[in-house]
Amino acid sequence: MNELANSSTSGGSVLTGPPPAVTAEKLSKIYGSVRACDEVDIELVRGEIHGVLGENGAGKSTLMKMLIGLVLPDKGSIAVDGKPVTIRDPLDAADLGIGMVHQHFSLVEALTVWENVALGDNSRIDRNRTRDRVAELSHEYGLDVNPDDRVEDLPVGMRQRVELLKCLRRDPSVLILDEPTSVLTPEESEQLFDSLRKVVGEENRAVALVSHRLSEILHATDRITIMRNGAVIDRCLTKDTDANSLARSMVGREVGLSYSGLDNSNKDSDVKVKSEPDNESKKIEERFLLELKGISTSSALGVRELNDFNLGIRQGEIFGLAGVEGNGQSSLVEVLSGLKRVSSGHVLLNGEKIPSNRFGQLAKKGVAVIPEDRHDSGVILGMSVSENLLLSNMEEGYKNGFLNKQKRDVRATDLIEKFEINCTGPNAPLWSLSGGNQQRVVLARETSDKPIVLVASQPTRGLDVGAIEYMTRQLRSLADSGVGVLLISSELDEILSLSDRIGVIFRGKIADSMRRQDADRENLGLLMGRGEL
Amino acid sequence: MFSIFKIMSSMRRRSEIVFLYACSTFVALLLSAIIVEAVGANWTDVWNSLLDGSLRKPGRWGKTLGSAVPMAMVAVGTIISTKVGLINIGQEGQMLVGAAFAAYVGAHAPGSGPIVICLVIIGGFVGGAFWSGLAGALRYWRNVPEVLTTLLLVTVAANLVGYALKNTWLLLDPDAAFGNRALVSKQLDPDSRLPRVEIFGNNFSLSVILALLIIVLTTWVLSQTVIGFKLNVVGENRRVGQRFGISEVKQGLMAMCASGGFAGLAGAMMLASGDFAKYRLVTGFTVNLGWTGLLVALVAREKVMAIIPVALIFAGLRTGSSFLAATGVERRVTDVVQGLLVLALLVPPAILFIRDRRRALAQVESRT
Amino acid sequence: MGFFEAIWDVLSTETAYTAATRFAAVLVFAAVGEWVAERSGTLNISIEAMILTGAFAGAMGYHWTENALVGILMGMIAGLIVSLVQAQMSHRLTADQFVVGLTLNILFLGVTSFLYAEWKPSSKVVSKLEIPVLKEIPLIGEAFFGQPWPFLFLYLLVPFTWWLVYRTRWGLEVRAVGENPQAADVSGIDVNKRRRQSIYYAGLCSGMGGAYLLLGQVGRFDDGIVAGRGFIALVAVIFGGWTLRGTILGCLLFGSVLSFRLTLPGLGYQLNSELMSSLPFLVTIIAMTAFARRVRPPGSLARPFVRGLK
Repeated sequence: MNELANSSTSGGSVLTGPPPAVTAEKLSKIYGSVRACDEVDIELVRGEIHGVLGENGAGKSTLMKMLIGLVLPDKGSIAVDGKPVTIRDPLDAADLGIGMVHQHFSLVEALTVWENVALGDNSRIDRNRTRDRVAELSHEYGLDVNPDDRVEDLPVGMRQRVELLKCLRRDPSVLILDEPTSVLTPEESEQLFDSLRKVVGEENRAVALVSHRLSEILHATDRITIMRNGAVIDRCLTKDTDANSLARSMVGREVGLSYSGLDNSNKDSDVKVKSEPDNESKKIEERFLLELKGISTSSALGVRELNDFNLGIRQGEIFGLAGVEGNGQSSLVEVLSGLKRVSSGHVLLNGEKIPSNRFGQLAKKGVAVIPEDRHDSGVILGMSVSENLLLSNMEEGYKNGFLNKQKRDVRATDLIEKFEINCTGPNAPLWSLSGGNQQRVVLARETSDKPIVLVASQPTRGLDVGAIEYMTRQLRSLADSGVGVLLISSELDEILSLSDRIGVIFRGKIADSMRRQDADRENLGLLMGRGEL
Repeated sequence: MFSIFKIMSSMRRRSEIVFLYACSTFVALLLSAIIVEAVGANWTDVWNSLLDGSLRKPGRWGKTLGSAVPMAMVAVGTIISTKVGLINIGQEGQMLVGAAFAAYVGAHAPGSGPIVICLVIIGGFVGGAFWSGLAGALRYWRNVPEVLTTLLLVTVAANLVGYALKNTWLLLDPDAAFGNRALVSKQLDPDSRLPRVEIFGNNFSLSVILALLIIVLTTWVLSQTVIGFKLNVVGENRRVGQRFGISEVKQGLMAMCASGGFAGLAGAMMLASGDFAKYRLVTGFTVNLGWTGLLVALVAREKVMAIIPVALIFAGLRTGSSFLAATGVERRVTDVVQGLLVLALLVPPAILFIRDRRRALAQVESRT
Repeated sequence: MGFFEAIWDVLSTETAYTAATRFAAVLVFAAVGEWVAERSGTLNISIEAMILTGAFAGAMGYHWTENALVGILMGMIAGLIVSLVQAQMSHRLTADQFVVGLTLNILFLGVTSFLYAEWKPSSKVVSKLEIPVLKEIPLIGEAFFGQPWPFLFLYLLVPFTWWLVYRTRWGLEVRAVGENPQAADVSGIDVNKRRRQSIYYAGLCSGMGGAYLLLGQVGRFDDGIVAGRGFIALVAVIFGGWTLRGTILGCLLFGSVLSFRLTLPGLGYQLNSELMSSLPFLVTIIAMTAFARRVRPPGSLARPFVRGLK
């Protein structure tokens, strides 16, 4: 698999022939102490669809942003058609023929398709010419878009195509697509790939397809570059690989240092895990702390996220939910956070049904959550540490509604000490804490009020080694004390080293679940990539 | 070590702001002086009569205090709704409806005395809360932007109250002289009025003390109770609030009603203090004090205690302007001064905001 | 019912229509400009100030040159000046647009009254310009074609504005900015610049309207001359669902209702004048509530745009 890794940095796949459309060498971008991109080399060759695969935070978005001029590289060089260039802003990139199809749509809904396509230009509006061009391009690439439709009337798949049209109109030589199918149905994705084939085919353009989805990378690309933690860890031709090996590459073939001490593949697992995990009789149902039965959810745009999802968490166990991101994990966490209504199914806590429209109930009854994006739903940046810590248990600081400052601050100081939160004090505003410490605040708050269940979603993402170790120890000891832990992670090592039982989520459903001792990387990789063995 | 650095940088920041405010205030006054002199009037005269009218002459600062009360109350309410991210610009109407409710209670309540005074005040709050509550309800039920509905309801309120003042079964005073019937409400019973206080020759209504208490109380509630805490949460990050059971709708409606309630309270206090139309509700009762109160709130920028100095300045301009006639300068010049002052006060925070944002954006980049 | 009889009676007199369009004319001038400004996502309460200052400048212009055209031009410039302050403070210095709007209303009320008292310009209503054949159309002929000659500017302004917003690149960008400023920004459009420019347009139009108010209707300046017309124009934009057609319809309707308030008593009918005065506002609230889909504001209305912040 690694054969091409060393040889493909220059000259490309065609040994004698025109230089690649884009050549990037040793591109680096560092934010503070985080290496978003670490000496990345990549080549985009005309006539090829080049897949860039990696998890969130792997650095692929940053890499593309450097190519499109939204971010300036700290080190490294870029060459277009063999000639070195500097890309300072999106206009430069556009002049060089590099165009990006945006992930979060940049369309104005109230306007028509042709108006949106015309938006990026500078010249006088020529309605007929633009409309004709749109119709022309639409036909050429099989996009089937009507220039006079209003974008707000179009389904999501169509909107994606309008974005593509916007890009194609500038006649770019390189097209970058960032997570294009995250909101598309399988059929719409198919159509998109067909169009992309046409795009690279006759016109000899290059396409970079950035994604974390194995299936689409395998399906649509000719060549794959796999990134992890800001660096390229593998390259291959699509025809030479499969879901299994890709999954393994993506989630870490190197054994993570943080997990080695806790690798419990030899662990004496019978002590903690309940016996007869395969026994699905009614008797065991009662021993579930948390149960999700038949949960289905949809996104705001109507795309199905969770599809008849079933899961049970038992007392004292860590259930590791593995899976490539984008298969419904976010929706699951939102449901358990009380931020999303389910369209069908029930959530049961200790046998009691908790309706999903009465938000706040789950938190109150003991479902603790460490969300994957703490800024979105975990912490309030503008408030102090002590106030953030108080959110889960306002009664403690506000007896009968009145603030008991001392009590609040004592609670805060205790937790700050216990969880070693590095800050200037309980009154420090949360935005002044580092990411790792903000995560500790979340952990402290969620675990200190005797939760029944803890949902930890990507808990160690973006943390340094020490913080990762700390978090993993906390999770383990929580489980040991009887809390049911649902660990959602795309780091397979993390799942393997911490879990008592493992499940794989694929397309909104549990593909399979097993005890830790029955799990192995091969099978997990297949389940994650294909949903079946 | 770290904390010393932080204290020093916050001190520097504070002196920066003060300096900027001082500069822009100076510029505003300079411009006003230029305009005045340019038309041949004397700025020193103007300045002196403003000071005389608002503070220096006997009894004047009592009047200034009385003028400041409704502005301050309106501002308190506005800050509450701003905290949760709602835009209320209908205080003028809410104030009027509050005053109308208060007048009604005052006219139809059995008997008189302290209880009636309380009912009058409460009636004002209820009236204003109802009026803003309408806008709040429409927002959360039908997603109609409250910035538009509150604005529209201002004119509706004016007309409603105007109608009420034409009918004796509503507000019109049955005893007003026939034929040339003045459109006024029944005067509040002498025992149903807010008592007045006299200090150093200045006569002002108890409403001043009441207003002060309310400001302090509100500051306290916002920072020391769970009510204020929840409002804060909803305003800062409603998703986190939602997770912990803090309902955006409930908090929003409460804030909206409180906002109008305080404006209505201002109207009731205007009525019961007698400072404006001798304890009667008349047409044009609110004399744009609702708008001024909104301005006070926007200048005070979310700090309830800051309302006190700001309201006093605006009130001073108002009472000072009545002394301008003697100088021969058009009374409206205070509008010019007020306008320029407000604009000047808007500039420093804007400059700082832009500069801070530039820095923050640079920081955010490094944190992703 | 007496109400409908009254309306029918009124609708059959020519004077009703003439009075209605007379009243509505100023509204249309201002509303058309504010429509453009709101399409870009701004909400300008300072329309009152723009009209007022335009009226004053119109009086001064006429006073100096005895030429109404100069007056109108000066009115436009005055409106532009007010809009300059509003635009720069709200969409460059990021000051709250409501504070600025309110303050400008107060400020310019002060400035104009102050200057009026000092300079005392004299002015008068200009002559009518009657278009021969069209004027003879029964009932509405005089209303639309027999007004003072500056009224005719409307027949140029309205189509021009339509063309500006729907047929030029500038208009496309303004519409994009009003609906989705983030998307517009990503497409390379300077959001706040377009917003400022649309406010300037509103200033020009409202200033023209103010001059028309003075030179075409009232004749003499008074600080109460505007009497809330700016607000009504704003409401007409909302009532019209942020379309140009709707806005003009709103102006005509509101103009009619508000002028009926004055003409009806003359015909012997006593209608609840408060109800009539609040009708435009009530109707608009109901329209927004009941027809939430059709009466839908531009996506970013009244929301300031700052790149990087949502």
